[in-house]
Amino acid sequence: MAMNLRESLKEFWRLNVSKVGLIFLSMLILASIYVVASYPLDFGVRYWNNPSYWADYPKSAPPAWVNLISSEKAPEHYVLTYTKPSNITLTGTERKLSYIFEIDFQADRPPSFISFTILDITYHERPSTVKLSVLRPDMKNIEVYSFIVSGPYLGEEPPYRRYYDQPKRISITGDMLTATALSRFLYREYNVTLRPSEVNSIGQHKILFSIPVRDREFKVLKGQYIFTIDVYTYNPNDEVGEVTLVIGGEVYGVMGTDSLGRDLFIGLLFGFPVALFIGIVTSTITTLLGAGLGIVGGYLGGRVDEVIQRIADFINNIPLLPFLIFLAFILGQNIWILVFLLVVFGWPTLTIIVRSMVLQLKSGQFIEAAISIGAPRWWIMFKHIFPQVAPFIFAQLIFFTPTFILLEAALSFLGLGDPTLPTWGQILEYGFRSGGIYVGLWWWIIPPGILIIWTAITFVLIALGMEPVVNPRLRKIK
Amino acid sequence: MGLARTLIFRATTLALVLILVVFFMVIILGATGTSDKILQAMVNEEVMMLRQALAKTIKDPEELNRVLAIRKQELMEFYGLTKPWYIRLPDMAWRVITLDLGKARTLKTFAGGNKVSEIIMERLPNTIILVTSATAISALVGLIVGVRIATRVGGLLDRISSYFSAVSYAIPTWWIGIILILVFSFFLRLFPFGGLYSTPPPTDPFLRFLDMLWHAVLPVTTLVIALVGVWIYTTRTIVLNTAQEDFVNAARAKGFPEELIRRRYIIRVAAPPIITNVILGLATSISGAILTETVFSWPGIGRLFYDAVLVMDEVVVIALTYIFTLVYVVARFILEVLYVILDPRVRY
Repeated sequence: MAMNLRESLKEFWRLNVSKVGLIFLSMLILASIYVVASYPLDFGVRYWNNPSYWADYPKSAPPAWVNLISSEKAPEHYVLTYTKPSNITLTGTERKLSYIFEIDFQADRPPSFISFTILDITYHERPSTVKLSVLRPDMKNIEVYSFIVSGPYLGEEPPYRRYYDQPKRISITGDMLTATALSRFLYREYNVTLRPSEVNSIGQHKILFSIPVRDREFKVLKGQYIFTIDVYTYNPNDEVGEVTLVIGGEVYGVMGTDSLGRDLFIGLLFGFPVALFIGIVTSTITTLLGAGLGIVGGYLGGRVDEVIQRIADFINNIPLLPFLIFLAFILGQNIWILVFLLVVFGWPTLTIIVRSMVLQLKSGQFIEAAISIGAPRWWIMFKHIFPQVAPFIFAQLIFFTPTFILLEAALSFLGLGDPTLPTWGQILEYGFRSGGIYVGLWWWIIPPGILIIWTAITFVLIALGMEPVVNPRLRKIK
Repeated sequence: MGLARTLIFRATTLALVLILVVFFMVIILGATGTSDKILQAMVNEEVMMLRQALAKTIKDPEELNRVLAIRKQELMEFYGLTKPWYIRLPDMAWRVITLDLGKARTLKTFAGGNKVSEIIMERLPNTIILVTSATAISALVGLIVGVRIATRVGGLLDRISSYFSAVSYAIPTWWIGIILILVFSFFLRLFPFGGLYSTPPPTDPFLRFLDMLWHAVLPVTTLVIALVGVWIYTTRTIVLNTAQEDFVNAARAKGFPEELIRRRYIIRVAAPPIITNVILGLATSISGAILTETVFSWPGIGRLFYDAVLVMDEVVVIALTYIFTLVYVVARFILEVLYVILDPRVRY
């Protein structure tokens, strides 16, 4: 009782597992398409595994939505960037470019750090001066930091361009100039004596965002903070590229960050196409190879069959994971090598099953008929035997996919993932190796695992839906 | 006599597999130049020791270097480094089989030694304890639950367990282990984060044993979660098929109590195919052991594998790959012996 394609699809669609599976699959595919279209190809090397790119992100920060649950409000993370000044003041030849950042600060704890960066400054005569001052909610103004852009070196001709390949990053937190300014500020406004080194050990960012209550005790000051970065220029042609202010938070984004400050949302999203690619590509190659060898061996028999069976037996007798570890370790960590290894170890299971199916089909009358009219052997295998086993092979393709996704995740977890392509397994690996689980960074540990399971379950559900199609005995009698 | 012949045949096949595996490994090591690196390290080690020994007797540095150069050449010839890698394949294979691979670069025994075979042998028992106890628990639970749901097909327990076995196919067990740590060690503080004993370990042997049990709860649970689904599902299917056989109906017709029928007529007959499935599941146990030990810092050979990869100690990686294959093959053989004992039909 063979089914045609339309009947098969109808039978498949009848089950709820199939529907859920297909909905899941289309979500996975949509996420993958988005990533492939919007991420650069060298995302892993250039961004993900490049700690300096994440320097301005808060480290080990839980997702921002935890503020909705917890009683104490943690500070959020602000990254504010201007390419044009908010204000320009002219006094003679001096031109002051002001960049004004307004922050409404309502958290119960001070920020975790403060820094600002300047990208691409050009001057023609005198080097520009940069000043950062803060107007607090209590209307007190503090000059926090100032510096002069480095002067021309010997033989350099104007225009003098600075910080254009690497932005100048100034961390207020840990800066002694700022500490001195704050020490004076505390004495002047509150009559509190704190040496600059003491300010430094408490944290410049903490003192800036709070008022002293008792000896060395500070209370967070909520309200509107205005950060002003003034750049003084002395020539009409002087230019400033970009100014960025970072107020370090303790929570970040939708998924939080890891201990290097990497935005987990971005990394987890990148895992979609990689997982699908490894699962589907490996599974397809494995199934084609396994089925092909099974058909050839089963139909031709004799020495070819014997050789294929012996090799399959041999590979089946090897414990898989230790060998994958060994080979990935010796041959190097690369996604193509991994796919190759998974194929090498994956095909025998299918070959053995397909072979036994072919052995049964071989004695069928339609084969005998084909032989009697002189059909070549490859024709019989391709046109008569393959269509008979095709539904089963297709079901196996789906059924194998989660196995490969899990194997890749396991290898990545053991530190043998391709370092140029971040995967969910690798995110978990770093979370495990750097001790994230021992300090309870749940936002780092739970989502990658859920995503792995979700992807694997998708294929399990589709495989379950296909079972009645492939195995007619399971079909319900209408 | 049939029994002995069957077993000898199986033993030879498995031994052959082991030898082929070793040759396969050695070919890879040779072709990638790794075996050269290992042997070179062994030569350098000996030359260095010789230099220290000779430095006391030979004072002239030039004379010392000349002697050492000669000795080094001799050693290179002895280890076969002057010949291409495919010539010394059998020699290298023998080294792997006897674990004569020199010294581990950074990994050490608990006492501080760095001989590869000692490092491994010291940790092997810990792995065996973990895997066998998890397997025993899974088998017990699987057999009890499997037989029980086979008699009530379609019941609640049956549906739960069939969903469980479908879902467990898609869950990385090692991640479950991590979640167990997060929940029971970090948030609830009920169990330790990992390891075999507390630091310092209790001196009283009984307390020490209890301490180990306490440390074993989470890893064993993780492994059981990995293994038990297959046990339940296989037992259920096989028992179900056997229960429909004519001889079972005949026994029922004779009016035997249900318990007796279950024990003597169903389980006894269903046992050998269940064993077959356990043999097929062995690989799962081994990979489960590697990952679970890694997650729980259980000082067995699985965790050692992870450590060796982490610090790039290739000698240990090679030795462990071989040991895992050996353990796999031996375990397989033991199960096959069990199979032959349980199923008289095999003794042809």
